[in-house]
Amino acid sequence: MATWTWFHRFGSPPWVYGFARRWTPWIGGAAGLSMLVALYGGLVLAPDDYQQKDAFRMVYVHAPTAWLSMMVYTTMAVAAAVGLIWRMKVAHAAAAACAPVGAWFTVAALGTGMLWGKPMWGAYWVWDPRLTAELVLLFLYFGYMGLRAGIEDQAKADKASAVLAVVGVVNIPIIKYSVEWWNSLHQTPTVMKMGKPAMDTAMLWPLLLMFLAFALYFAAVLLIRLRAELLRRERNASWIREVLT
Amino acid sequence: MNEFFSMSGYGAYVWPAFALGFGVVIVNLVMALNSLSSAKQEARRRLQMNAPGNGP
Repeated sequence: MATWTWFHRFGSPPWVYGFARRWTPWIGGAAGLSMLVALYGGLVLAPDDYQQKDAFRMVYVHAPTAWLSMMVYTTMAVAAAVGLIWRMKVAHAAAAACAPVGAWFTVAALGTGMLWGKPMWGAYWVWDPRLTAELVLLFLYFGYMGLRAGIEDQAKADKASAVLAVVGVVNIPIIKYSVEWWNSLHQTPTVMKMGKPAMDTAMLWPLLLMFLAFALYFAAVLLIRLRAELLRRERNASWIREVLT
Repeated sequence: MNEFFSMSGYGAYVWPAFALGFGVVIVNLVMALNSLSSAKQEARRRLQMNAPGNGP
């Protein structure tokens, strides 16, 4: 019962708009604060790595951006699926709001990875399974945005782009497990190995806090973009007058 | 302090990586806020155009 009430609320644009407006400053504030603390922990407090020395510190920017690039895509695909199945306009708006954020973070993940690859592997780019799959992710985002931009009718654009988003989600497990399925130059996850953290606590906590900070940051940016989407889509609705005056 | 910036010789990679990652964080926030404020402006203009007295 309670779940259905929530579901119905999230289907209502004015309710979602109000919710987003109320929560964005809090979520954004928490994101900014935890990002600063995690940066200090990662750049200053954490000891250097015995093999990579201070180069390992790139993990504090590379891992969270790479993780976000996948998390945003998954969120986008889930929202698109909800929009397709229940014909929920707010869900399509949320999916559309995800795409540019995800594309930017994929660029950041690829760029920071290249900067880490050069000193460690000797090359900015190698056609490694994980790197290639991450590049495919960037093209999926571009395809999604291009498809939306190319179809004038909103309902048709929502539907076509949602199908693309849902089909493309198959790439996410490929990125995630590529380092285990194939012989990869890319290292395997360092946060957990055999169910135990594979990092010193002083190195680990800033990384975990950075993941939390990026998740909160994404939530805040998504809520801002969702409000913009709703204002544009619902331009003739009466609730807009109420929220803007 | 110099030691901190040199990052045991990897400074030329570490700092650009952080600049890129957190640059994207800032750019995305600014882009989202710009998009919201332009959507608000558009909606306000529309409301004024459709205000009672201006319509048919």
